[in-house]
Order: sequence, then C-alpha cells, then structure tokens
Amino acid sequence: MDEQMLKILEYSIYGASVLLILVGLYAVLTKKSLIKIVIGLSIIDGGIHLLLIAIGYLKGGTAPIFSPGFEEATAKMVDPVPQALVLTAIVIGFGVTAVALSLVIRLYRHHRTLQIDEIKSLKW
Amino acid sequence: MVGSPVLLIAIPLLAAFIIPLAGMIWKELVRIIPGLVLAYMLILSATLLAEVTQNGTIVETIAGWRAPWGINLVYSPLTGFLATLMTLLGFLVWLFSYRFKRNVDFEPAKKYFIFLMMLIAGAVGIVITGDIFNQFVFIEITGISAYALTAFYTGRNSAEAAFKYLMMGALASSFLLLAIAIIYSQLGTLNMADIAVRMHEMDPTYKVIALIFFITGIGIEAEIFPLNGWAPDAYTEAPGPIGAAFAGVAVKAGIYAVIRMVFTLFDIPAAHDFLITIGLITLIIAETTALKQEKLKRMLAYSSIGQMGLVLVAFGIGTAEGVFAALFLMLNHAVIKPLLFFSGSYLLFNSKDKQITEVDGLGKHMPYTAALFTLGSFAIVGLPPFAGFWSKLSVLTAAADEGLLLIIALILIVSVVEIVYYFRVVNRIFFQEYSKEKSVVPHQPRLNAIIAMSILAALILVIGFYPDAVTGILHNASSDLLDKGAYINDVLQTGQSLTH
Repeated sequence: MDEQMLKILEYSIYGASVLLILVGLYAVLTKKSLIKIVIGLSIIDGGIHLLLIAIGYLKGGTAPIFSPGFEEATAKMVDPVPQALVLTAIVIGFGVTAVALSLVIRLYRHHRTLQIDEIKSLKW
Repeated sequence: MVGSPVLLIAIPLLAAFIIPLAGMIWKELVRIIPGLVLAYMLILSATLLAEVTQNGTIVETIAGWRAPWGINLVYSPLTGFLATLMTLLGFLVWLFSYRFKRNVDFEPAKKYFIFLMMLIAGAVGIVITGDIFNQFVFIEITGISAYALTAFYTGRNSAEAAFKYLMMGALASSFLLLAIAIIYSQLGTLNMADIAVRMHEMDPTYKVIALIFFITGIGIEAEIFPLNGWAPDAYTEAPGPIGAAFAGVAVKAGIYAVIRMVFTLFDIPAAHDFLITIGLITLIIAETTALKQEKLKRMLAYSSIGQMGLVLVAFGIGTAEGVFAALFLMLNHAVIKPLLFFSGSYLLFNSKDKQITEVDGLGKHMPYTAALFTLGSFAIVGLPPFAGFWSKLSVLTAAADEGLLLIIALILIVSVVEIVYYFRVVNRIFFQEYSKEKSVVPHQPRLNAIIAMSILAALILVIGFYPDAVTGILHNASSDLLDKGAYINDVLQTGQSLTH
C-alpha cells in the first residue's frame, strides 16, 4: 500500500467515526421507538470508540509490549492509552445499555407500548 | 492519620459489593453497613480536611505511576471541603432512610443502599480525582446509580423519569468522551494539571470545541439550563431522601467538574461571562417555572435548579469574593435543600399526587416537621438570621464590587419570586384549615428521621448565627480554586505525596 492509500484510509476512519456519531444522533433524536433510541445511543458510543482508536493509530505500529531485544521498537509502538480508554468506555456503554433496556422493559410492562409519544405522561 | 483519600472511593464501592452478601447472613446488616461506612468516611474526610488545611494538599498516586502518567487523587482544601460535605449529606440521607417506609422491605432496601453507596462513591470520586478520564468514569458511576435510584418505586412514572434522565445522561457522557478524545489527540495527556500546563499549545478552535463538549457533558449533572429537563421528573419520581442526595451530592459534584474545567484546565476568559449568562438564564427560568408548580417535590426541584444557576453566576464573577460566595451557596444549598426534601416527604407521606394543596393545616397535626419545613423555607430564600442570608449577601457584595448592577437587580427580583412560592406553601401549612377531604392524612416521622432533620436544622442555625464557623474553610477552599499554579505544582512535583 502506498502513502496515498494510507492517507485516504486514515481520513476514511475519521470520516466513518463522525458518520457513526451522526447516524446515532439521528436515531436518538428522531426515532419514536424506545429500543431504536437505545440502539442509537450505542451507535454514538461506537463512533466515539472508533475515533479514540483512530487517534492512537500509528502506521505500521507494533503492540506496545516491552521485551528484551526490541528496545528500538519503542518509536513504532502504537499508543496504548486510547485502547485502554476504549476498553473502559465499552464496559461503561454496556452498563448504560443494560440499565436502559431494563427500564424499557419496565415501561413496556406498564404501558404495553414502546412508542415514546404514547407514554409521555410527565412533562416540562 | 486515619487513612488515605483513596479509601473514600474504595470503601463505599467495596461496601456496595458486600451489602448483598452480608444480607444473606443477617437482613439488618443491609441497613447497618452503609451507616458504618458513611460514618467512617465522614470521620476520614473531615480529618484529612483538617490535615490539608494545615500541611497543604495531599496528592495520592495510584499504583505507583507518577503524576502525568498514572491516575492521581488530589485532596486539597477545595476538594476536601466538597468531599466532607458529600459524605456528611450521605450519612444524613442514610440516617433518614434507615427505615424510610414500612413497605420498603428487604429486597428493595438492599438495592437502595447499594446504589446509594455507589452514588456517593462516584460523587466523591468526581471531586477528588486528578485525571479527566477517571472523572468520566466516576461521572458514569454516579449517573448509572442515579438512574437506578430514580426508578426505585415501581410505579409507572418512575421508569419514565429514569429513562428520560438516562437518555440525556448517556448522550451527555458521549459528548464528554468526545471532549476527552479531542484533548488527548491535541495534548497527549489526561492528567488535569498537565493539561492545565500545556493548554496554550492547543489550537484555540479545538479548545473552545472541547470546552463546549465538556460543559454539555457535565451540565446534565450540574443542572445547567437547557440540559436540566430530567431534573424535575427525576426529583418528583425518586424517593424523597434520594431527591436530597441528588441536590446535596450529585449536583455538587457536577458543579465542581464544571468549575474545575473553567478555572483550572481551560484559560478562556470569556468562559466566565458564559457562566454568568447561563447561570442567570437557569436562575430566572427555573424560579419562574417553580412559581407555577402544583407538586411540592417539583417545586423543590425547580428551586434547586435555580440555586445552581445562582452558584454559577457567583463562580462566573470570578473574583476571590465571588468564588467564596459560590462555595458558601453550595454549602447552604447542600444543608437546606435536603431538610426541605426530608420534611416535605414526611408532610406528604400518605399522599398519592404530592400536590401542594394537600398540606393544608398540617401545622397543627405535625408541628415539628412543619416547623422544620418552615425553617428550611426561611433559610433558602435568605431571611436573616438563617444560613441562606449570609450566602446571598456575599453573592450580592461580590457582584457589587465588580459593578455588576444588572445581576444584583435580577437576583433580588428572583428572590422575591422565591419568597412567594415558598411562603405559599408555609401559608397553607399553618394558616389554612385542615379538611378531611382535601388534606393528607398526617404521618409522624420516625425517630431516625427526626434526628437527621434536627442535625440539618441545627447546622442551618449554627451557620446562620455564627457564619465565622465555616468562613475559614470556605476562604481556604476559594483561594485553593483560584491558585492554579499551586495546584499544578502540587500534582506534578512533590507536594505532600503518597505513593503505594
């Protein structure tokens, strides 16, 4: 792969993450079904995780593990911090999605519907 | 030394895991353990606060990775003050809800106390951490336990309120993560002090975008105006003591995160004007909306939002006096609003709709609770000689010193609105006839609730009559917030550092 291709790849990863965030926002803001809103929240999370990983990406980088004989490889290591952040963020996203879905189940049991405009009994 | 700051986070989280196990041995342990843990945390945080006031900030390094690389906890006069306040409130919430309602039996009580411990661990963590990603994690811990506590009663509206809160909270935390990604891509660091040192290297455009994402992300917890749509519903549907915990613990943590960003991390002068503007909008809209509320808890929720607006205005003034006034307001709000929630939840104990009209004539039947509610109302609108008077006075003098006359006028007008809607309730309690059909059936508070409310009332009177008792701590805390250089030095160099 030549330089040009790598550049395009890099930009397309950033573009894809922004696109994912926008798709998720669209779902959260316009969809009426509670499940679709929860899916939208997860898509936004996915987009941000991709963005974080893209920040830590290094062309031809290696795994950030120190081992004898590979001291000069430090410059080629990818940044481990974004990966650690993404792992943590995935776990948090999982927790939030689980709580959200359990609330959706409870709302469904009470209202027998998942349409958000049919259950609005609280208002501003 | 009784312990190190990390225990303030580790012990409640550990307790949250132990509670269900201990419940299998003896059911009463579920209610006792949180109290012991919170009492220990209160002693620990107060002792540490006394120590940092004397010897300077404690910086604790986690797992031996020094400041710019690892996670560190910063226990300074400011963070120590807030952590002590939160653990005190947490303890009183526990005391009040020890046997809150007779129909809350073992299973719900277990969940309630687990989430209460997590809420307090998260809120204390937000305040004492020195790392933005770590702060994000604590914001999520606070958030998730707050959603779960909002949905505590299995009635139909509580799940809806919780879902609303969760939707806004989850969106906000995405923005927060985006802000962290932007900062990390620009500066390559997550340590707050390190970010503060190198902030000038950042492109101004990115800086403003990151700050906006940050404020959107934390503004949910801090109840800043366009982001506080969840608050009235959550406060109304959550159990009464949890409303007190939101007002006294979670919101304070949110406000702290906002001001840490504005004062220490981002050196954008316009951010102070932004705080004043957004604070005034929050204040005016919330207080006028509170005026037309028909449910007591909803009214208290809007009043809480309004008070947070006032706090932001005071922080936005930005002088030492302004910050002092803002911290004083936070202290008073953390003491007074829980008293209102506690006594309010007993006034309307047997009511289904929690309407304000149902409190008619309760003064005769529940004299002590009614008197405490009245004391809280007098204190929060700022009547002398109660606690709220001094904080409002110091906001006004701080604004006057800067010549911000418009702000003074607006605050005074809004105070009148506040007086109207609080006194409307007090008037109904004492000067309306009790009627069998309209009013709620009185319910006498339990002993533990009376003790919890009396402690808060005593604090209001002590702060009201001897404000000097707390001003020393508040002055230390405000100079700590304004002294950015000392914060950076303490974290990045030695200070009084603890290494494991």
